[in-house]
Amino acid sequence: MSRRKKILGDLDQDIRDHIEKETQDNIERGMPPEEARYAALRKFGNVAQVKEETREVWSFRWLEQLGQDIRYGLRMLRKNPGFTAVAVLTLALGIGANTALFSLIDAVLLKMLPVASPERLVQLTSVTADGRTNDYFSYPTYKTLRDQNRVFSDVFAFRTLGDVDFEVDGHGELAQGQTVTGNYHAALGVGVVLGRTINPADDRVRGGSPVAVISYRYWERRFGRDPSVLGKNIVLDNVPFKIIGITAPEFFGLEPGQAVDVWIPLAEYGQIRPGVAAIGTPYDIFEAAYRNSIRIMARLKPGVTEAKAQADLAPMFQQALQRAADSLTGLPFDSPEGHKLYLKTRLEVEAGGRGLASLRERLSKPLLTLMAVVGLLLLIACANVASLLLVRAAARQREIAIRVALGAPRRRLMRQLITESVMLALAGGVLGLLFAYWGSDSLVPLMSHSATPVLLSVRPDVRVLAFTLIVSLATALLFGLAPAWRASRLDVSPATKESERTMGAMGGQARLGKILAVMQVALSLVMLIGAGLLVRSLANLKSFYPGFNQDRVLLASVNPTLVGYLGSQIDRLYAQALERIRAIPGVRSASFSMSSPLGQSSGFTEAVVEGYTPSPREQMAVQLNLIGPGYFRTLETAVLTGREFTDADGANAPKVAVINQAMTRRFFGATNPIGRRFSLPGWIGDKTMIEIVGVVEDARSENLREAAPPTAYVPFPQSSDPGSVTFEVRTYTDPASMTESVRRAIQQADSRVPVFGVKTLPEQVDESLVEERMTASLSSLFGLLALMLASIGVYGLMAHTVARRTNEIGLRMALGAHRGQILSMVMGQTLMLAAAGLAIGVPAAVAASRLVTSQLYGVRATDPITLAGAVALMTALVALAGYLPARGATKIDPMVALRYE
Amino acid sequence: MTTQEKDRIELLQGTLDLLILRTLLFGPAHGHAIARAIERNSEDVLQVEQGSLYPALHRLIKRGWISFAGGPSENNRRAKYYRLTARGRKQLQVETTKWDKLAGAIARILRPAAEKVE
Repeated sequence: MSRRKKILGDLDQDIRDHIEKETQDNIERGMPPEEARYAALRKFGNVAQVKEETREVWSFRWLEQLGQDIRYGLRMLRKNPGFTAVAVLTLALGIGANTALFSLIDAVLLKMLPVASPERLVQLTSVTADGRTNDYFSYPTYKTLRDQNRVFSDVFAFRTLGDVDFEVDGHGELAQGQTVTGNYHAALGVGVVLGRTINPADDRVRGGSPVAVISYRYWERRFGRDPSVLGKNIVLDNVPFKIIGITAPEFFGLEPGQAVDVWIPLAEYGQIRPGVAAIGTPYDIFEAAYRNSIRIMARLKPGVTEAKAQADLAPMFQQALQRAADSLTGLPFDSPEGHKLYLKTRLEVEAGGRGLASLRERLSKPLLTLMAVVGLLLLIACANVASLLLVRAAARQREIAIRVALGAPRRRLMRQLITESVMLALAGGVLGLLFAYWGSDSLVPLMSHSATPVLLSVRPDVRVLAFTLIVSLATALLFGLAPAWRASRLDVSPATKESERTMGAMGGQARLGKILAVMQVALSLVMLIGAGLLVRSLANLKSFYPGFNQDRVLLASVNPTLVGYLGSQIDRLYAQALERIRAIPGVRSASFSMSSPLGQSSGFTEAVVEGYTPSPREQMAVQLNLIGPGYFRTLETAVLTGREFTDADGANAPKVAVINQAMTRRFFGATNPIGRRFSLPGWIGDKTMIEIVGVVEDARSENLREAAPPTAYVPFPQSSDPGSVTFEVRTYTDPASMTESVRRAIQQADSRVPVFGVKTLPEQVDESLVEERMTASLSSLFGLLALMLASIGVYGLMAHTVARRTNEIGLRMALGAHRGQILSMVMGQTLMLAAAGLAIGVPAAVAASRLVTSQLYGVRATDPITLAGAVALMTALVALAGYLPARGATKIDPMVALRYE
Repeated sequence: MTTQEKDRIELLQGTLDLLILRTLLFGPAHGHAIARAIERNSEDVLQVEQGSLYPALHRLIKRGWISFAGGPSENNRRAKYYRLTARGRKQLQVETTKWDKLAGAIARILRPAAEKVE
């Protein structure tokens, strides 16, 4: 027998012996036996507590107690299935919402790329003198940085192809393609499940190694994981390639949410995109030092920081810039301004372990806002469960009193109650995890644009599980501590003797219950007001007239450079396509442009305005759009003075432009700009003067939030080619029904030209509001959940109050109180709660709304309509929550209530 | 219960351990005898709640500073008695020195006030 077991086994007898001896001593001192024993017991102290403490000395005690607490807790929870279910569901709702949001934040903002040592990856960016960042570098600059740096173990680059036509055995399908330098996969440490990745030898000779590596996901989706695809010949945008490998399952590329399906060597770029690559010309993508066309990432050598790398690279980047500026000499768009701009650029080295930033930048604000919203929801859930526990603690007072009387120390009782809370919270956490698993999958589509679908694997990983666990435990403390503290401070004697309804401790519990109810009302009001403001902002954005009429307009994009079109061939193609589109029955008017409204691909360039002297540091950039004839008529953008372009404004006609109001105000003030001239040396190619022939109203172009910048519209044939354009087609009927005929019309002009991005303009406008819609709809959903929880909380409190006061109410009625008086008494209390909640909630909401000011539009944080609406909704629901128990109170039969005592 | 707690002189946890070790220096003793001895020797200034002796005794046994013999599990009705071990004896020295140092330090701090009273 172990020493521990032996001495603990003797403990009871030892204590009995001890008390026996003390009793004997007392008798010898002359006490009567009865009194002697009592004195001995008193002198010994609390026997149960002594035993407990003695057992605790022998360690594992806490574990045994935990086992006891859990068993006891399970019994208690099972005994009250209704309470347990409501509490667990409420918590699951709160924890689930938090877990779902956190797993999105984890996937978008926190998760490192699934590559080797992502913490040492960096992305290179350049920042111009006027603060604009650019992720793109020229190939010669890449070579300089790759060969001369002392700070990186690898430098690799890539250029995204976007949609490519991936043809297998004659069947084409769109896939996401990327061209990469030969060291890309090795530098990232990406493994394969089959074959090999692209290596430097593949990237040595232009067009020399037509190999392709596909992603595991694409292999699964397109080929059903058929191993025989290895070595298969495929065709990507009309160029033959051979599949040489399939990457490891976890690798999706470098941009969270934007998975790449197929990688080919950068050296093949000229084959697959001959028009853009312009091999052999002064614009050759591999030779022109000015042509920023590829993105660069690198891996820091051990011990090198980002700051040190940046300092180390600065001189070599300056040399590269000088070469870039020199390479402009002799090109049509060379200008002293261009030179200056180039040389004032600096290189920055940023952490790249989380991948490229686009999705992160787009979603970080909405996601963090929503995280705050679900945080509030969880607080409300906690308050709700805390008040449930309070009510239950009242019901359990006799049980607790008995345990105290039997010698359970307060510490032990609190531990028991907190164990029960933790069990509730963990059950809520597990259920919440299920909710989140299901919920975050339905959240992902809310973040997607049709052009760039967000594909995220939001699977709860270790970090998400840890988050849920921590949140659950914190929740347990939050809702469990106060009730446990109150319950364990119970005074023994009255509780064991008296009935539950007249307990002394009830005063304090009722107060705590009220505080919790007020808190729920206040917090859910904050959420309602926040949601209201976001919904109103979205509505404002939608109803605002953006300077064009989006109804019944169909969009379709083409890029004829992909199939080898150059120069004036392109103009002819567009003219033919336009003619055919206009001939379709049901088409009212049609045009095309480089940037379509809210199409998120606008260009800026420096303007030199005749008769306008810029101040030394003045930003002269204007937005440029190249448009076809009839553009403004098609979009119903009003031409205020002058005229819009016609077919006569061709390549050889005098150069003309239409400008918007913003540009007019900026450069010409109140004077009439018609006939004034300016040049766009950075874009058009030379300093030819362009005459202004018209002024149009401002039309929002990049997003609905921002007023239109100064914009110049130039006839398409009078500018260098931008690559792809979008046709805008205004129809008499539903534009979606015209999709096929428009596609056919374009392909009648040339069947080889791929048509993509076919959608209606309202769809495109809607897509520009993806983030706004996501925050507005989710915060409304969570706001309504909060409202529901708070109403349940108030209902629970009032129902309990009425139940506890049955007696008193019965007495009042026996003494002649009307039912109406009883009703107004209970309702009065309810409305006091609501008033207190509103008094706290409204100022809190106004203060909190300031945090989301940047996401509001056309509505202030103190918007009276939103405030009034939220207050009215809240008051109505709280009143309803109070009315049900109040009506119950009026049904109390005084005789029954009084006899009950 | 609360009023009683306020009036009693609370012993520091280590102090009770020290007093038990000191008591056992005179020879082995029963639990009850140890309690009585502490009370008598302190001229009843230290009112130990006798029960609190047991966690302390078990703590000392666990640390190996005292051992025990007899008791119900050894099949005789003789009460259990406790004995100082060699390690306990050493520990008593250490603890006594520590206590003297502490008492000395506190005395030095309190001395100016004490002189005024004299």
